[in-house]
Amino acid sequence: MVSAINRDTVIAVFLLLFCGVFYAASLKIEETSYATIGAEVWPHLILAVLFVLSSIYLFQSVRATPIEATKHEVNFFTRYRNAILCYALFLGFLLTLDTFGMLLGGVAFVFLALSVLGERTPKQLAIHAGVAVVSVGAMWAIFTFALRVILPEGTILSIW
Amino acid sequence: MIIENVIGAFGEVIQIKILLLMGLGVLSGLIAGAIPGFTITMAVVLTLPFTFGLSTVEGLSTMIGVFVGGLSGGLMSGILTGIPGTPSSVATTFDGFPMARKGRPGLALGIGVWSSFFGGIISALLLMTLAPQLAQIGLEFGPWDYFSLVLFALTITASLAGENLTKGLIAGALGLLVATIGEDDINGVARFNFGTDALKQGFAFLPVLVGLFAFSQLMSDVQDTASARKPLMEKGAKAVRVEHLAALRAIAGNWINLIRSSLIGVFTGILPAAGGSISNILAYDQAKKASRNPEQFGTGHPEGIVASESANNATAGGALITMMALGIPGDIVTAVMLGALLIHDVVPSPSFIGDQPVLAYSIFLAFFLANFLMLGTQAVALRAFLLVTRIPMYMLAGVILAYCAIGVFSLHNVTFDIWTLFWFGLLGYIMRQLGFPLAPMILGVVLGDIAEVNLSRAVAISDDLTLFLSRPWSLFFLIIAVFSMIFPWYQKHRGNKTWTLAFLPALCLSLAPPLFMMGGIPRPILGGVLIAAGIWLLVKHHRGGWKLELPEEHDVQLEET
Repeated sequence: MVSAINRDTVIAVFLLLFCGVFYAASLKIEETSYATIGAEVWPHLILAVLFVLSSIYLFQSVRATPIEATKHEVNFFTRYRNAILCYALFLGFLLTLDTFGMLLGGVAFVFLALSVLGERTPKQLAIHAGVAVVSVGAMWAIFTFALRVILPEGTILSIW
Repeated sequence: MIIENVIGAFGEVIQIKILLLMGLGVLSGLIAGAIPGFTITMAVVLTLPFTFGLSTVEGLSTMIGVFVGGLSGGLMSGILTGIPGTPSSVATTFDGFPMARKGRPGLALGIGVWSSFFGGIISALLLMTLAPQLAQIGLEFGPWDYFSLVLFALTITASLAGENLTKGLIAGALGLLVATIGEDDINGVARFNFGTDALKQGFAFLPVLVGLFAFSQLMSDVQDTASARKPLMEKGAKAVRVEHLAALRAIAGNWINLIRSSLIGVFTGILPAAGGSISNILAYDQAKKASRNPEQFGTGHPEGIVASESANNATAGGALITMMALGIPGDIVTAVMLGALLIHDVVPSPSFIGDQPVLAYSIFLAFFLANFLMLGTQAVALRAFLLVTRIPMYMLAGVILAYCAIGVFSLHNVTFDIWTLFWFGLLGYIMRQLGFPLAPMILGVVLGDIAEVNLSRAVAISDDLTLFLSRPWSLFFLIIAVFSMIFPWYQKHRGNKTWTLAFLPALCLSLAPPLFMMGGIPRPILGGVLIAAGIWLLVKHHRGGWKLELPEEHDVQLEET
């Protein structure tokens, strides 16, 4: 179990590496002859500040008293299960958007998200399906017909 | 001049369509504000996509309706269940809930609603009169001053946003860095696109904000399966009849408290970073100190509800003053409001009120009218709130996530914005879990471009960097930026360490020189008053042998409203 103090140290080191990556990327910013200050100056200033702050954070994390991990602390997946599954479902929704479109993909996403987060009894699944169809259908209709937004339609269900 | 502009604004705003939209906005805000776990910011963010197809005045009036409704909505759950709907109603529960438990929920709601109304009206009047004055002051600002003002806004947000100042400042710097991704506004050069075309345009503000704030908030709300499956309110809230007349009588006997708390709210709102979550506590504390019956606070005393609710609604007007006059958002809600204004091609700045007075006063008037609509729709909102509380959080979260995707897509009709939503949603969630406050990061994203443009202008005018210290306004903002960074230590050690007694005198004495440098008559007088106050405090502490006083009951800390 990573204690809180180690976690802070890891984050601080990650932030320092992040500064390094962005600094390297900033060296590739095009230099212009007409600029009063180059396009890289402001990012360099921010990165310098971020580097200093991350170093202070690292120093603080190393100096701080280690916090004992509690015996009854739940494991990582149990604690973050819902968030991980929701993000995974949302990623799936995004990756299949070109195929399913906003309407079908949205309905599928809401149904799956509700079923993952809520109970999975037949009654609840039916409620989840109803909520998904009505809510996404209503939003899709409002945006498509009232606000005239052309939402991604996908290859399966072509409305227009 | 003001009257002419108000009359012109009346023609724009007093239309059935706009009033209906505002009414809907207020109602949505009231319900969203009443639900614990939902914030005003989320309500405003989620309403924004619906306003894309509306005219500028229609869209902004709707958003202002949501903003005002959200501020007033928090009191319903706070009074009926003891759980504040938003952090800006925390102090309302101190007396509102005990009063409801004593069998007077209708009176408690009435006092809350009418105090919110009067607080909102007082701040609307101050908004109309002070915003043009502040804009006049803003016209004195050069790029050095603006850059320092942005720096101050970021440091004070970081210092108030969490327990760890370093984390707050890191979040602010990350926000500034995110704003640099994509094409540079000044030179038109691509930055940090890592060879991809998609990143050349940079990130749109709204998907970043919805992801960082709403998406991550929803994921935090459903993190625990058991609580996500329960109805929003376990403590059953029952419909009650609001006792308007009795409430008005109670407020009439508390008018000094009402005005004082409203003024606290307005001036807290004017300060960058300080929002309703701070003003309601400050006003409550002041009301308690000034009360003849301080021992009754916390037992269902009307004065406590009046103070908290008038202050939090008045804060909205104060925050709008700074945003409209200077173009600087005070907190996350006003950062979203600024984003909404920009989407509707309204760019607030010191010259905005003078250049487009009718539009500016239409916004002011919409804020004024929204308070009346809040009063009228509170009864409907109360019933809707009771229905919504029966829904489990996970259902709302799932549906809202889909809505976020649709809303964000409708901004530019590109899928990249939904990807932005996803990645920043993930980043926001991780940051929340690691204890990084999101408010400084969001302000960093919003203010990044303003800071860079002004830095560039400053350097273009003169390469003398000492101008940041020699120009009075710039020096003024830099001094309070430094003190705002020390503030968390001051707050932590107040009552324990002797040096904290020197904090306020040092602040007063440090702010006096830039005021003298500004010239004229009122500002040097103010500088003299600050010096006198600083010396008086030092003498007082010296005579008292630098004896430490007990700290205040409630810490001042910014929470996401």
